[in-house]
Amino acid sequence: MARLLQVFGFLSVLFRGATLTFQSLAVGGIVFLIFVVRRADEDSTALRHACLRWIRRSALALAAMQISYVLANSIILRQSADMPLRDVLGANFVLAGVIGIAAAFTIIVLSSSARSSGYIDLLLPAAAIIASSVMTSHSVARLDYRAPLVAFTALHQAATATWLGGLPYLLIAIRQVQSPEVARRLSARFSQLALVSVAVLASAGFMLSLAYVGSLKAVYGTSYGAMVATKVLLFGLLLFLGALNFQLLRRGPASSILASLKRFGEAEIGIGITVILTAASLTSLPPAADLAQDRVTGSEIIARMSPHPPRFGSPSVQELPEDAYAAQKKAFEVGPLSTESYVPGQTGTRPNTPAEKAWSEYNHHWAGVVVLSMGLLALIAQAGKISWARNWPLAFFGLSAFLFLRSDPETWPLGPVGFWATLADPEVLLHRFFAVLVIALAIFEWRVQTGRVASGRARLAFPVLIAISGALLLTHSHSLGNLKEEVLAELSHIPLAILAVTAGWSRWLELRLPSENQTRGVMARLWPVCIALIGVVLLNYREM
Amino acid sequence: MQPGRRNLCAFILFAAAAALLIVAPASAHAVLLESSPALKSAVSGPDVPVKLRFNVRIDALRSRLTLIRPDGSAQALEISKQTPPDTLLAEATGLAAGAYRLRWQVLASDGHITRGEIPFTVTTS
Repeated sequence: MARLLQVFGFLSVLFRGATLTFQSLAVGGIVFLIFVVRRADEDSTALRHACLRWIRRSALALAAMQISYVLANSIILRQSADMPLRDVLGANFVLAGVIGIAAAFTIIVLSSSARSSGYIDLLLPAAAIIASSVMTSHSVARLDYRAPLVAFTALHQAATATWLGGLPYLLIAIRQVQSPEVARRLSARFSQLALVSVAVLASAGFMLSLAYVGSLKAVYGTSYGAMVATKVLLFGLLLFLGALNFQLLRRGPASSILASLKRFGEAEIGIGITVILTAASLTSLPPAADLAQDRVTGSEIIARMSPHPPRFGSPSVQELPEDAYAAQKKAFEVGPLSTESYVPGQTGTRPNTPAEKAWSEYNHHWAGVVVLSMGLLALIAQAGKISWARNWPLAFFGLSAFLFLRSDPETWPLGPVGFWATLADPEVLLHRFFAVLVIALAIFEWRVQTGRVASGRARLAFPVLIAISGALLLTHSHSLGNLKEEVLAELSHIPLAILAVTAGWSRWLELRLPSENQTRGVMARLWPVCIALIGVVLLNYREM
Repeated sequence: MQPGRRNLCAFILFAAAAALLIVAPASAHAVLLESSPALKSAVSGPDVPVKLRFNVRIDALRSRLTLIRPDGSAQALEISKQTPPDTLLAEATGLAAGAYRLRWQVLASDGHITRGEIPFTVTTS
């Protein structure tokens, strides 16, 4: 039970993110099948079967996620509140889960039977899936304007599913159909559908932001507001790629545009997942409008973000608390908690000491020097003037060693805690994993840059890992309170995340777009600039 | 690679990315806006009315209030059934002077569980 409590926060966001993802895939597939494929005037039997297969798989995965969420939440509720099973079963989240699970299985059954007529009946369980998701959204628990907020949330989620959930089916369709002209027609139809969806989701999102964020000051003064702003920025990136697609469809001949369409679609799916996960992370935060106290002010942000000389001198290990984790546990037990509301299993927070802050700033600043150098060397390498500049990924080795030594100073080799003992701590383990990941990045990308790998999927390791790192930064833990230090830290992480996502997917497009596509050249210059900017942001990172 | 297998790979990648990208703990969102007794306040006994107001609708039937007495013993408080949707009401009776803690756990209407603790002191009236 104690262990379940410890991972409860992790589990609930995991299930929520996965549920939103599979819900988008299932509902998006159904809408694609009915409004894009069904209206195709060619014989599209094979394509319909392919879509149905993926709709079934998505619905099955959705049902599995819903069952897992309902079970985990029920066990926590039953154990932590000593509640009879009958009472647990009557909870709203159980009812919502049952509706979602029943709808997912209905989709599996309906999409399995062979039929010659349309699939319009699949829209009913698709609507039930959206309803079940809305039942566990912020809107249901609101005190004011509940009905309109429920309606806007439903529209927002349905439009997201139609657009982002439909994208993978467009890629499947482009691969399935033989004729480029048919593929172009399907893409044009999907574009129209996507345009409507974008308008609906943006309008509904705007109305939801008015209710949940409330003011411009809350956009930059709270974690919730900052995350909503991030979602809007990523949405802008998606729109930019969508506009490139739209232009392609209107201009080039069918045979030459399909390859580009597929590649833009891949990047859109990747950024789309990031947006959906940011949304899942948002559901775990109290809306900004509810937290009027302790917001970060504009002057505090300017004071924190204004350029300062980097810190290249580090405090000694002896100046740090002997055992940071024990100190945090003690702070949690004796209080006062820095936040008065928390989820079961969440540990208390302890403000960092000045030495810990200086230690962290030093880490960020030296990492910034390395990353800025890599970005600049990558740009120089592209210009082709200095041949050794191509070896820039080797700098990742230095970064990895630096992370390994400095990220957990109380552990081996700097601190008293032994190497094997540290592996039992999930946080240290995660840091060690990142250090290994950075080495993997170095090897993969160095081989690509120096021409040792000229084709194949190994080339995509670097962009995928960079994009995943960016998304990870957007989905890290949030406190329930409006802790100023946490909001300020989040505000400095958001630009890093957006730059990493942009760098990852622009490098992906550079590698994947056909050589005749002119956008490829722009993407080739964009990602090194993003990496250099990540270095600049890291160099100005501050905790005090 | 066959288109079917390629699609399977893409699907697994999509799902794995979704799972991988959210390996961070997070919290739910019912937060305590005001309470009586207030945090670290002194109230006069022996009977102390309890009122907790949250930022969202609360499922009162599936929420819990527990009083931790100065000797460490716990007493469940009965939550009033007639309350506004965002509020929990109860009454702690017969309290002697001393340091108490009020533990609360609520289920928000959207299914999130949150908890917290309010330390307060009872003085003789």
